[in-house]
Amino acid sequence: MTNKLMFKPTEIVVKQAHDAHLYPSRRSVQVVESRQLTSGVYMLRLRDEFIAKHAKPAQFINVYSHDAQRLLPRPFGVCNIQDDIVTIMYAVIGDGTEEFSHLQAGDFIDILGPLGKPYDLQKSAHYVLIGGGLGIPPVLSAAQYLAVRDDVKTTAVLGYRDEKFADDIAKQYVADVHSISNSEGNVITVLQQLQQQLQHDDLPVICIACGPAPMMKAIAHWAKEFDFACQFSLEERMGCGYGTCVACVVDTVDGRKKVCVDGPVFTSEDLGWR
Amino acid sequence: MIENVYEQHEWKHPTIVAGVPWKNPVGTASGTFQLAACRWFYDVSQMGAISTKGVSPIPWEGNPAPRTAESPAGMVNAVGLQNPGVDHYLVDELPKLKELGALVVTNVAGHSDDDYAQVVEKLADSPADMLEINVSCPNVSHGGMSVGSDPQALSRLIKRLRALTTKPMVVKLSPNVTDIVSIAKSAVDAGADALSLINTLVGMRIDVQTGEPIIANRTGGVSGPAIFPIALGFVWRVRQALPDIPIIGIGGIDSGLKALEYLYAGANAVEVGAAALYDPTAPIRVARELDDLLDERPQLAAKLAKGETWR
Repeated sequence: MTNKLMFKPTEIVVKQAHDAHLYPSRRSVQVVESRQLTSGVYMLRLRDEFIAKHAKPAQFINVYSHDAQRLLPRPFGVCNIQDDIVTIMYAVIGDGTEEFSHLQAGDFIDILGPLGKPYDLQKSAHYVLIGGGLGIPPVLSAAQYLAVRDDVKTTAVLGYRDEKFADDIAKQYVADVHSISNSEGNVITVLQQLQQQLQHDDLPVICIACGPAPMMKAIAHWAKEFDFACQFSLEERMGCGYGTCVACVVDTVDGRKKVCVDGPVFTSEDLGWR
Repeated sequence: MIENVYEQHEWKHPTIVAGVPWKNPVGTASGTFQLAACRWFYDVSQMGAISTKGVSPIPWEGNPAPRTAESPAGMVNAVGLQNPGVDHYLVDELPKLKELGALVVTNVAGHSDDDYAQVVEKLADSPADMLEINVSCPNVSHGGMSVGSDPQALSRLIKRLRALTTKPMVVKLSPNVTDIVSIAKSAVDAGADALSLINTLVGMRIDVQTGEPIIANRTGGVSGPAIFPIALGFVWRVRQALPDIPIIGIGGIDSGLKALEYLYAGANAVEVGAAALYDPTAPIRVARELDDLLDERPQLAAKLAKGETWR
């Protein structure tokens, strides 16, 4: 149903923009794979060399509907990159994501990106990668990014509603994966079990988190006691996703900031959460 | 279809708005253009004009989030004119835009007559090419639409601003009024050099899970292709009533063809707004499409080039 090009193919747009020293705008990419991971949660793999080359952890891409009734983009954090294939995960929560769930390999879909400010993963540290639900994909992107570094340690703490749909991917990049579903507890339950070990780590601990706001606030509260640094990737209703409409704001200690370009990554200090 | 929206283009069909020559009849609509975001997608000097986000005398925080909700073929937004204030604008966005070679229409916002006057005074000696007085924002508690829906209040404001500046002054009109023609007339009689219309239409969306409005401000302004025929109708009515005033048509333009409808309705120029939110290069693409469409319409193109309109 959606095997059509709405905008120009990505390779043309990227080349034309590059030649003009500009950033590639909205363009069509091909779907490589689309499948359900668990009830209501889907994985979409797209071929786009530009995103694959440039996307950094916590950056996101805008995905556009083919339906002219639904114009605004749906922003999704990049989850994984293999060669020129970009993986995102999403939950079906409305008509737009419902439409995406019917995509098939070979279909075209419009995207923009990568967008947003990534996690700062430069320091040599023990990174605790904490994801909740559909906040897990950006955290997995950080896991993939850090997996090739020998100056860091990583621990993943993944919280699910039910089925643990992303543990397999996490285990490819992180040796120490802890996951928990709602019936067993939440990510704070796991973090409390790990806190003694983390406190005595020889590397500074940095929490990299994405998930529902109450979860992230709870992480900030927990981390404060041990003076662990925290970086949160936030979610907000977006208009454009690239900084021009000023819709997706969050209150920070420096006033209202745009989640799409000033974030999505903010520290505990930025948010006044410590 | 435009083969390459990124390449430099020799514009064939200029227009004139209130004495100011635009290299083409397509601008960006205020509220949908932020230099820091848009400049990476196209050369801003290539636009007919850049209408910047409303500036107020002091920084405004705007409304709390959520500020936007999708609607059929459009969107509802209630940003509340968040902006860093005129002093910041004068040392940041405006000089940067002028350095890049853009023609700048500075949108002016306020909560009161004094607010507007303060901003216009500060802009009087600035390099802004035109001023656009925003008396039509539906998402601020005072000023904005409340001024733009009362002919007497509007007349008083525009007369006061007229005395403060010799810059071409555009008044941006709200569609949320009983009789837009009486508002338009009062702006023109008070000294407006041009009119831009329309600002957004008041609307809302409700989350059926909670039964509550999606947007924190509850109501917002509707824009996008959904409002195109409505906005076009407003331009038509104002043009019929006021044959001589320059008009910038705004509302739901996402193609050169839609821009062309505004020109046939009697607009001197148009501005692209919401389309830029789902296609960052939409403003420049619309301008390029229109430039080609005007090749086949030499009579219309000739009128625009002289500052005249089709109707």
